[in-house]
Amino acid sequence: MRFRHGLAIACAAVALSPQGARAADNIKIGVPIPLSGPTSVYGVPILKGAELAVQQINAAGGVLGRKLEILSRDSKANADEAVRLSRELIIKDNVDFLAGTLTSAEAPAVSTVAKENKIVFLAPSSKSTILTDEKHINPYIFRVASNTDVEGLAGAEEMAKLKDVKTIVTIAPDYAYGRDSIAAFIKALKEKAPNMQVVDSQWPKLGEPDFTAFINAMMSKSPDAVYCSLFAGDFVTFSKQATPLGLFKKIDNRLVDGGEVGTIDEAQALGKDYPYGIIANTYDPVIWTGTEPPEHKKFIEDLKAYTKAQYASGWSIMGYQMIEALAEGIKKANSTKSDAVSKALEGMTFDTPVGKRSFSVKSHETFAPEFWGTMVKDANYPFALLKDPQPMPTDFKAN
Amino acid sequence: MNIGRRIPWTLIVFLAFATIPWMGSRYNVFLAEQIAIDALFAVSLNLLLGSTGLVSFGHVAYFGVGAYICAILMKTYELPFFIAFPAAGVGTALFALVSGFFCVRLIKLYFAMLTLAFSQIVWAIVYKWNDVTGGDQGLPEIPFPNLDWMNSVPFLSDLKVNDQFYLFSLAIIAVALAILHRIVRSPFGRVLTTIRDNPERAAFLGINVRAYQLAAFVVAGTFAGFAGALYGIFSRGVFADYVFWSKSAEVMIMTILGGMDFFWGPPVGALALVWLNQEITDYTEYWPFVLGTILLFLLFVFPGGIVGGLNALWLRVRARSRARA
Amino acid sequence: MAASFLFGQFMGGLTTAMFLFLIASGLSLVFGVMRLVNFAHGSFYMIGAYLAWQAIQWVHPTGAGFWIATLFAACGVGVLGGVVERLFFRSLYGREELYQLLFTYALVLILGDAAKFLWGTGQLSVSTPPVLAGSVVIFGSTQPLYNLFMMVVGPSIAFFGWLVLNKTGVGRMVRAAQMDREMLDALGANVGHIYLGMFVFSSFLAGLSGALVTPIQSIVPGMDVLIIVQAFIVVVIGGLGSFWGTFWGSVIYGQVLSFGILIFPSFSLFSVFALMAVILIVRPWGLFGRPL
Repeated sequence: MRFRHGLAIACAAVALSPQGARAADNIKIGVPIPLSGPTSVYGVPILKGAELAVQQINAAGGVLGRKLEILSRDSKANADEAVRLSRELIIKDNVDFLAGTLTSAEAPAVSTVAKENKIVFLAPSSKSTILTDEKHINPYIFRVASNTDVEGLAGAEEMAKLKDVKTIVTIAPDYAYGRDSIAAFIKALKEKAPNMQVVDSQWPKLGEPDFTAFINAMMSKSPDAVYCSLFAGDFVTFSKQATPLGLFKKIDNRLVDGGEVGTIDEAQALGKDYPYGIIANTYDPVIWTGTEPPEHKKFIEDLKAYTKAQYASGWSIMGYQMIEALAEGIKKANSTKSDAVSKALEGMTFDTPVGKRSFSVKSHETFAPEFWGTMVKDANYPFALLKDPQPMPTDFKAN
Repeated sequence: MNIGRRIPWTLIVFLAFATIPWMGSRYNVFLAEQIAIDALFAVSLNLLLGSTGLVSFGHVAYFGVGAYICAILMKTYELPFFIAFPAAGVGTALFALVSGFFCVRLIKLYFAMLTLAFSQIVWAIVYKWNDVTGGDQGLPEIPFPNLDWMNSVPFLSDLKVNDQFYLFSLAIIAVALAILHRIVRSPFGRVLTTIRDNPERAAFLGINVRAYQLAAFVVAGTFAGFAGALYGIFSRGVFADYVFWSKSAEVMIMTILGGMDFFWGPPVGALALVWLNQEITDYTEYWPFVLGTILLFLLFVFPGGIVGGLNALWLRVRARSRARA
Repeated sequence: MAASFLFGQFMGGLTTAMFLFLIASGLSLVFGVMRLVNFAHGSFYMIGAYLAWQAIQWVHPTGAGFWIATLFAACGVGVLGGVVERLFFRSLYGREELYQLLFTYALVLILGDAAKFLWGTGQLSVSTPPVLAGSVVIFGSTQPLYNLFMMVVGPSIAFFGWLVLNKTGVGRMVRAAQMDREMLDALGANVGHIYLGMFVFSSFLAGLSGALVTPIQSIVPGMDVLIIVQAFIVVVIGGLGSFWGTFWGSVIYGQVLSFGILIFPSFSLFSVFALMAVILIVRPWGLFGRPL
């Protein structure tokens, strides 16, 4: 067929067609992160925090005289989507660095892409130890988030404070983060509260729309308390379904959750349906009780101005931190080559609005503490607030 | 298909694709490899869809099984590619044999639904069998096959490993497509189209319809498995969502977009879809919307797909020029 | 304690079943009459949920607000269904089934993105109407009033549908159209109107279920895909085109899910598809269906 001649030429032409126009001499940071679906309630504010950092850094002259530029993509909290997007960002958009992903399914997968392409990758939220353990650590992955060992210890400390608790059931999403966080909690519980026992564990899948069967199974064990690692949209759905089933009443609100459900974002999502009285955590309480560090106050003001929102978000600080840390690393290395930046970031200390953090040399982690407290109703705000947020755990030792 | 022209257009296309590592950027190679693998996947589906008239919604199952077998053998057991790749084909063929046996006994809609059910079963197993398949984490870091022998070939030695693998897989895909082409044009292939057009008449002619359908199913599945195996290495990892049913829909759209009545329809569809995807996602995040609209357009305006439409155009032009002569 | 727990799981399974039944019945109906598998049925369900949420934002969550919103959503989706049928489906009847299926898939893609465009990508939430917000303790197990309500509504609508289909003149025509469209056409009945009516009613049901599910589940992109797979499984188990088949299929499916997490927690995902495969292999037309 003669038209195949034309077809053949068309094939070659299309395959060889040039890609999109190159941007100016900016330092490009690819940010694959969930912007839709149940986890976007955390993903979107992280991106906003990152954008704020870029805006501030660029206003102050950029890094090494060049401006930073974010290329964000919706990873839908999917490992294969995150991988595909990361590879495209590297191969097509020629990003210099990667920063982002939310879940512990995405981050380890993107970490392998970063390793293969020798691109520094900062993870702001993935907590599972699998990301940086001996088997998986590589020179390019750096974790700004806390990790499940830290979280489990803090969770156990909080649980130990509760009176009259003998039996505990756990519920966590069935993937790396859920599994690791429960394992870490159980291990730490043995040390902090040896008289408490975990008698059952439930494992719904991430994104589960119907927790009823799991809630019933939990209640059938008549536990005194619940340790929960559900987060973001899953926790919203879980609470909405658990309240009419009487779970919170049955355990007298003795539920401890390490998945940052104490953030304002989560509290707003649940509104008046929030299960007041539970113990939750957040990286940033936003509304500070006690003496607020002036850097934090300024950060929140800038954030509100940037997002034009009435209340700031508790997650933006992690997006902010990952960009700030990266910028520091580039400055210290005096280069945008990932090998040099990676060496600079190792062991580096950097400032954040909630205190100093540093990347450990061995596992490139910050072991960040989080703020824990009881969630209470507050007359001044239309959502639940963390009462007396305290940085926990109090005695973490990295090994 | 027209045997008249002896000029090897297909050879020209392949040569054009083969020059991309030198002529194009890293991204062009990335795209071209995606297109080539999708082309093989879509052609394998068309053996069922276009040639035999079997509408399968679960074709991605075989793609996935092939991808996982090859990946597991190469990564976990550290077997070389020339063992892992054929093993993936064999494993997929066996799975296609078993699942196909049950599927071909059903008619039309039930056939489609059972293929979907099997495909989702594969997905559920892959998703949950953490120890073997990596579960929701998937299996990242699949090693490249040992391509050191390429370094001794003059032109190929100064290419990066990615490009070497691209040419390597392109060669494999070319061979696979040639085999499939042979099958489609063979007496076996003609029996398949007879069955597609009228199964009762075929049965009256003494043809064992089910046996032929099963054979087509196994062949189609095996080549899908080969495509999957290559894809796992290309994308440097296999993940559970590779086996989700939406990928079955994607490859079906590719096949129909290109034109199911022609052997080269599906590869054209693969090229069109991959290219459109990358162009459109530059401008908007609403790619599914665009894809849906393209599909609507196809269904109502150009049911023959791109190649079908072009062919109709060509025939009209030729008829008009003959009429004038 | 064990008995009340089992009862609780059973009731949970029944609630899931009744929701699924409401949406799957529309799917089954359309297949029974029009021999059409409508992938976009899940999208209609999702649009119903979003419309209900939207209506509540406008009307404000007063006592009656929820019911108004539900009606609005159901009617809205019914209208959407009618428009789709008139504009597109009409030209596809008589074409190969593959084209009809692909058309519904195109709808899924388009409606999914339309919802994202109109209502954003986050997760939306609706509160339970105050009159049904409490719970009741039966046999030691706490049952939310809203779930009990659903268990009544689901079968009622189904029973109503079955009545209409089997006991009225309109219903008789619909069943005739199912058996032999050309003959009915030749006899002078307006088959086009019958098809339109069926499709509108089915879409209405989808929108209604979407609206009714909002107090207990979150409205999120991707809920269309999640529900359509489940509706498929239910309809296959019960038998495509059979109303009662869909009912029992939903009940079975609901219990498998509910008790599945106890007996084989890792495998409930796998077991429902395995169940679907087994039914298709052994008795493709389902428990109550008729061979095609």
